[in-house]
Order: sequence, then C-alpha cells, then structure tokens
Amino acid sequence: MDLTKKQTRLKRWEGWKSSSLAFQAQPFYFLLPAIILLGLFLFLPALLTIYYAFTDYYLLTPDQRQFVGLRNFTQIFGDPVFLRSLQNITIFVVGIIIFQVGMSLGLALLINKQRRGNIFLKVAFFSPVVMSLVVISVLWLYLLNPTDGLVNSMLQAVGINAQPFLTSPNQAIYAIILVSVWQGAGYQMLIFLAGLQNIPGDVYEAARIDGAGKWKSFLHVTIPLLRPTTTLIVFTTLIAAFKLIIQPMIMTQGGPLNSTMTPIYYIYQTGFTDRLVGYSSAMTVVFGLLIVIVTFVQRRFAKEDL
Amino acid sequence: MKLRVLVAGMVSTALLLSACGNEAESDGGDNEISLWVQTSSESPEGQAMQGSVEKFNEQFKGTYTANIEFIPRGGGGGGYEDKVNAAVSTGTLPDVLTLDGPNTAAYAESEIIAPLDGVISNTEDLLPSIVEQGTYEDEMYAVGYSESSVGIYYNKEMLEQAGVDLETLPTVDEPWTWDEFTQLSEKLTDYYEVPAIDMGLNDNSEWLMYAFSPFLWSQGGEITSEDGRQAETVFNSEANMKAMSFLQHMLNNDYTTISPAENGFETGQYPMKMSGSWTMEQLDTNYQDIDYDIMPYPVSPDTGELVTPTGSWQYAMSTATENEEGAGELIDFLTSTEAVVDISLANSVLPSRYSAIEEIEDDVSPQMNTLIEQNEASGKARPVLPEYPQITRSFQQTISGLPYYEDQAGLQELLDEKAKEMQTSLERRE
Amino acid sequence: MKNVKKLVEYVLLTLLAFFFIFPLLWMVSSSMKSEESIYQDLNSVQALLPSFQITEWLSTYTELFSRFDIGTYLFNSVFYALLVTAGAIVVNAMAGYAFAKFHFKGKNIMFSLLLAMLIIPVETIIITQFTIIHNLGLVDNRLAVIIPLIANAFFIYLFRNFFIAVPDSVIESAKMEGAGHWTIFWRIMLPMSKPAVATVGTLAFIGSWNDYIWPLMILTDSDKYPLQVAITSINATEPVFINQVMAILTISTIPLIIVYIVAQKYLLQGLSSSGSGQK
Repeated sequence: MDLTKKQTRLKRWEGWKSSSLAFQAQPFYFLLPAIILLGLFLFLPALLTIYYAFTDYYLLTPDQRQFVGLRNFTQIFGDPVFLRSLQNITIFVVGIIIFQVGMSLGLALLINKQRRGNIFLKVAFFSPVVMSLVVISVLWLYLLNPTDGLVNSMLQAVGINAQPFLTSPNQAIYAIILVSVWQGAGYQMLIFLAGLQNIPGDVYEAARIDGAGKWKSFLHVTIPLLRPTTTLIVFTTLIAAFKLIIQPMIMTQGGPLNSTMTPIYYIYQTGFTDRLVGYSSAMTVVFGLLIVIVTFVQRRFAKEDL
Repeated sequence: MKLRVLVAGMVSTALLLSACGNEAESDGGDNEISLWVQTSSESPEGQAMQGSVEKFNEQFKGTYTANIEFIPRGGGGGGYEDKVNAAVSTGTLPDVLTLDGPNTAAYAESEIIAPLDGVISNTEDLLPSIVEQGTYEDEMYAVGYSESSVGIYYNKEMLEQAGVDLETLPTVDEPWTWDEFTQLSEKLTDYYEVPAIDMGLNDNSEWLMYAFSPFLWSQGGEITSEDGRQAETVFNSEANMKAMSFLQHMLNNDYTTISPAENGFETGQYPMKMSGSWTMEQLDTNYQDIDYDIMPYPVSPDTGELVTPTGSWQYAMSTATENEEGAGELIDFLTSTEAVVDISLANSVLPSRYSAIEEIEDDVSPQMNTLIEQNEASGKARPVLPEYPQITRSFQQTISGLPYYEDQAGLQELLDEKAKEMQTSLERRE
Repeated sequence: MKNVKKLVEYVLLTLLAFFFIFPLLWMVSSSMKSEESIYQDLNSVQALLPSFQITEWLSTYTELFSRFDIGTYLFNSVFYALLVTAGAIVVNAMAGYAFAKFHFKGKNIMFSLLLAMLIIPVETIIITQFTIIHNLGLVDNRLAVIIPLIANAFFIYLFRNFFIAVPDSVIESAKMEGAGHWTIFWRIMLPMSKPAVATVGTLAFIGSWNDYIWPLMILTDSDKYPLQVAITSINATEPVFINQVMAILTISTIPLIIVYIVAQKYLLQGLSSSGSGQK
C-alpha cells in the first residue's frame, strides 16, 4: 500500500477520534464485536434455555410453544435414562480424575529423569493428543472390536481371553475411560513436567541434607510443590469430563443398555432427534447448575492454589 | 497490515460463499412446483427421480413445471431432516418433499404435511404396508415410491457342504418356524464353528427396530397399543417375551453374535446373513464368488404367521404449498406405476404397487423375486407415532441388551424396564 | 545388578510407550495396505507395518479420493479454521484492549460478567444455540460454522492480561505522535503481544479443526462438511472399507501434527494461564 493513501486514512481516523463524541464511544467500538457475538451465542442461549425449560417447545411447532410450569422438571426426575446418565457421568468423571491425572503425573515423573531416549518417550506419550476426539473414537471403535479388533488379538497373544469391551454394559464406560485417558494424559504430562522443572534443585538438595530418601523427598517436596499444578489440572479436567459426548456418540450411541449415555448426549438426543426442546432445556438447566455448583465447590477448595 | 488485508479477504469470501448457499427456496409461482428429495443427483435413485420429473414436465407442459432439489442425507442420516426442520421455522418449505416412513406421524401431527385426500389415483393398487406407513389418524399423508424387505441370505455351497438339502429349505408359502430355523443354525454352527448367521446385531441404529419388530408381530405381540399411548403391559407382554426368547436362544448358543466379523457372509466365513435388498447389489458387484439365495423370515411356531419388515421414503405435500393441485398432480405422477417401475429397476428396490410388481417380475433376479413375493404377502409397517425416535431407541437397546440377560427372569426384567422407558416417553408431551 | 535393573526399566518404558503409540501406528499402516491384509495381519507384528508392496501404499488414498470429495472437506476445514483463528484474534484482542487500557463506566461490572460467562458450560446449550441459528436463517450456512466460535471469554481475558502489562507510557507517547486507539491497537498492542496472539490463534485453530457436534447439527449439505463430520459420514457410507477409513483419519490428523509441532510452546502457555486466570 502506498504511503499517501495510508496517510489520508490515518488522518481520517484522527479527525474522527478528535471529535469528542467518537472518542467517548471508542471503548464501545472495541467491545462491540465481542459483545454481539458473546451475547448472541452464549448469553442469549443461556437465558433462552432457562425460559424454554418452562415451556413445551417442540422443534417442529415453534409457534405453538406454551408455558407448562414445572412439568418438565418433575418429569426429569422420573426419567430413568436421565438418572442413568448422571450415574454414568459420575463414574466417568471420577475415573478420569483418578486415572488421567495419575497417569499424566506418572508419565511426567518418568520423563523428568535424565535418560537416553527421553525425547522418544515424550513424543510417544504425547502422540494421541494430536488426534481429534472424532478420530480417536473411530480408531478405537475398530481397535476394540470384539471379533476382529487389534486389542483382542494382542490380548489373546499373551493368553488373555477376548473381551467384549464396548459391546458390554459392564465394560463399555470403562473402555471409554481408557480411551479418554490414553488421549488426554500426554497433554497434562507436559504441564506437570513444566511444574516439576519449576521446582528449584536446591530444595531437593536441602531435603537430602536433612536425610530424606528418594521416596521421602517425593512425598514431602515434590507433591506439596506440585499442588498448584495439580489443582489446575484437576480443575480443567473435571469440567471437561462432565461434558463427555463425542466418544459415546460415535462409539456406542449411549448403549449397550444406556450404560454409556451421558447427560450432554441425552440432552442432544431429546432436543434434536426427539425434537423436545423444552424438555431438553430443563435437563440443561439442571445439569448446567450441577456443573456450576461443582465448579464453585472446587474453587473454594482450591482457593489457596489458584 | 497484512493481517488486516487477510482478514478482510477471508470475511468477504465467507460472505460470498454463504450467499451462494442461500438461493431462493421457492418462488411461489403458480406453475412452478418445488420438490425436495433426500438423495444425491448422482445416485441411481436420484437419476430415476430426475427422469420421472422430466417426464412430468413433458406431460404437463404449459401447466406445471416441477423443480427438483437434491439434498443428500448426511452420514448420520439427519442432514435432510434437519433441513426440513429448519425450513419449518423459517417458512421455506417446498411444495412437495420426501420423508422417511417413521417420520409420517411427527410431520402430520405438526402440520408440516397435508392430507392427500383424493389426490392419489388407484390407492387400492398400493401395497397395504405402504398405506399403513403413510396413514396417520385415518388419513393418508404420504405415499412410498418404493418398498424394502429383509430376507435370510444363505451361501448355497456352505449349506450343502454342511449336509443341508437345499430342496427342503422354506418358501414364502411355507416358511419355517423359529424352531426349525434354530435347528438349521445349530447344524451350521456345529459344522463351521462360527456363528451360523450375521443378524446385524452390531448395528445400533434403525436396523434393529426395522428388522426385529416382525418377530414380535409374528407371535402376535405389539410395541405399543393401537392408539399409541400405552407401552407398559404391551411391550413387556407374554407374546413379546416368547419372540425375544427365540432371539435370546440364538444368541446364548452362539448361533448368532452381537459382534459379527466384518463382511463375514460376503467373504464366505458365515453361512447366513439377515439383510435387506441392498446386500444383493453389493454381493453382485464386490463379492461375485458367493453363490447365494434368499429364504423368508422364520415365523412363530404358535401362529405360523409370516410377518416381514417394510419401510421406505415417501412423497408428501407440504402445508406451505400455495399450489395444492399442482403438488397433488406431481405426487400422483411420481407414485404412478410407471415411476415406481423406473425407480425399482434403477435402484434395485422393491416396488410399492401391485401393478408395478407385475411389470418387473420377469426382469429381476429370482432372489429379488423372493423378497418381492415375501413383501407382498407379509410386509408390515413400523408404528406410526410422533414419539417414534424415543420408541425406536428403547427398542434398539432392548435388542442389543439381549445377550446380557441369560434366563427368562432376566429377559422379563429387560422388557419391563424398556416398557417403562417407552411409557415415560409417550407421556412426556401430554 | 544395576544393568539388569536398567534393562527392566527400559523394557517397561518401551511397553508403556508402545501402549501410547500403537494405535497411531496401526492407523497409518492400515491405511497403506489392502482391507484383506489388515485382517490377515491382525495376529502378527505386520499389523503395525504398511504393505510390503510399496505400490500399494497410496492406492487406498487414490480409491478414497475417487469415492469421496476429500479435497472439498479439506478445504472446508482449513477455511473454517483460518477464519475462526483470524476472527478470534481480532475480536478478542479488541475487547481485551478495551478492558486493559480504557476507563469507562460499568467496566468492572462488564468484566465480572465476562468472567461469569466462563462458567456457562457451552456444550449444554447447543440446542438453544441451534434454535438461534435457526431463527437467523443460517442453518446450513458456512457462516454459522464460524461465528459462534469467534468470541471467547477466556481469550478476551488472556489478551487483557497481556495488554495490561504493556506500559501506559508506550501508549502515551504514541498518542503524542498523533496515533489514535485504532492505530495503537494494530501497530503497537498486537505486535507487542505476539505470544498471546500465537496462543489464542493456536487454540482457536485446533478448536475449530476438531469441532464436530456443532457443524454436524447445522450443516445439511455435504459439500460444506468439515473433515470431522466427513469422517463419520465416510465411516457410515456403505460399503465401508476399513483401510479407507484409516486413510481419512490419517489425512485429518496430519495438519494437527504440524500445528502442534509449530505451536507447542504457546499451547502450554495458554493452559497454564487458564488456571491462574480465574482468581
């Protein structure tokens, strides 16, 4: 772009700016796009969801929407599928917190040690992270196929019986936990690693002088000093885990026997497939509140760390 | 500065591209009739539709012009239906649209589609299953332009090798009972040491409702009461228990499996496969080594009544049309014997009219004729319910849950639980 | 003794690494052989190796490209992701700038409201978001894939923190030279906060690339599908060939590998600050 053009444009700007009204309005201009977009796609939907929750909004007849009071809410608590989904998500969240956080901490500790070939390990552990949830879901659907999946043929090679995995109501949710841990652990490993490397070496030195062994210094130095990192990881993992939908949607469609049905997936199905926007909104409100409460409780516990 | 130019460039491209996607939906001219179909224009089905529309335009030259728009279904199956949903709230429905059988009730109840009183000529020529599927509260709303059916495919060589005399196999007139079918399965499973039949039990989709509900009907069972309000005591009835026991027995003895090997029948591993007419096309193009034939569904030993799956996409008139006469003419034309024959031959599907069956009988394979014959004799449509999505989901879970309940008590528990689930769904909007 | 211990350690580590990497190996190698040999190789090490016939390596990809319009899906994904990235950087940086360097009425309330928005679990309100897109008449429109992903409370917060660190004196002296806020924003603030731009850009790109449920809901025309939706559609289009499925999975992963290699550092930054962010 040539200079004169640039200058005239700059001048125009300056002229506008110096008129005092425009100057007052400037923060508003800077905020406007974000306000419009957040309002339209976050704030408004959140409010509308609450409103719809008290109506019988049916997707095919939006104009005949009527206020139905608390009907949707009373129905929710008699809905066996929704209750089951709450149970499933609890198992999932607890499983993820224990195994994913544990696994990523373990991996970080392994890698933190000086050794040859560490970079290879790091790449291996991190590799699942680069795949999208859709990709890993489709991939593991084939890997975990009970009849001709690679995992079962590997198990059989070491003398373990073939497992039904995703086709069993007793195993499916755990298979999904396994896949999710496998996918996510590498990312948090890096964060833990950064936390570990921030611990100054002389702290360990001091502990050694005090006569602490390897295990003791891990317990009394590493763990306490990693607390902020751990809190951060637990915090982000927990909220994300509550929103599980893609893996069951692609791998099990919520089955067998609702054993992998999750709240968000059920909300999606009732609102979109069954067209019951009102009912689905009521579940959204209940489940959304639940997440908000968990967030607050957790934040209270973690206050000192964050 | 570069970034700014880039952004400006991309935003304008986005606007341009989105503008392209939004051409006028229907221009509402008196002579123009807009038509939405769910297939792609390249598919044999789409091409047959295109052909029929051209014939219509030829015949009604000067009076009506039909414009066909292809909106292929996405992989999830929902794409086309979502577009219809969207058009409902924005008031941009076409004059005529296609819809899947199970959607008839929801669309009719929501007044998306209009009744077709007196629009369709020669309704007694339509197969009963087609009428059943398109009827909601005693009025006809939609007409299927083809039919579908499911049969038991079997590998002739494999059966013979296992010592089965092919001459003794059942026919549509004399179908086998579940017991006889179980005996055959046992023989084959013992001989080949693999499940005798792939029943598609790994397919957690509409297939389960479509293919497995006829077993209940054969025993005299139902999914919901006739008025569609009651599932408890109906779905967990004794008749349904019996039908499900047959399937449970097949599963528990490994005569079939919930995780069949991929293409097990097509590659000669499994001797039998329960599937629809589409498998014929696949066998004929990709797996020509398999010498196969088709036998009809097994039936309840108590009733001996053959009941088989049906279902298809249909044409219906939207309530938004301002040209009811033209839209009606188009639907009548597209479901006429000629159009039905065209699409059956092009897409290797079953015809939806008796007259069309007569016309193509000699042109299709004996296997296809078995399915046509079976369909004509015993086809039954799935329930016509506004709550269909929920009901079919509970049904799917019942079937895929079967292997985890080993005895009668467990089975009863499963049916009770799912009946209750269906009942809550039915009562949700009352 | 020490050597034995070391050996055991390496064996265990190798096993662990194998657990993490074998699915990826299987995915890529299965995309480079015939469907038949995928099943034949299941019981041997060959499962994790591509076909021994080098000529077969690309044939799956050729078949896939001839059956499906992969080029369109790839273009769509790149197009959506780039627009979301550019939009997210500009829109959120602008808002972050306003919060960092302007004094206006109601700023604190608005900022608290913004932080409160971080708590709304976005995934739960997709149905209502859909009804809004519905009412805007944007169903099956490319814009609908992009615009809901642009504004992001967390990104605004990230930019604000970065901009606050820019000393006021820099802005003052620019003002002295006659620059307006717009100029300051483009010429000074954005260039000075490259790490924030990179972090937001990377996160936005990955977020858009991996987005699945939303495009699945609002797009009906398969010509507009991004890769993620195309994957499930290909995996459901009969006949399904497993090697072709693995090929599309591989294709959709490669761009992300590149993004992660280039931007690894910024990703970590983004996440670490996300936690400390919400005091």
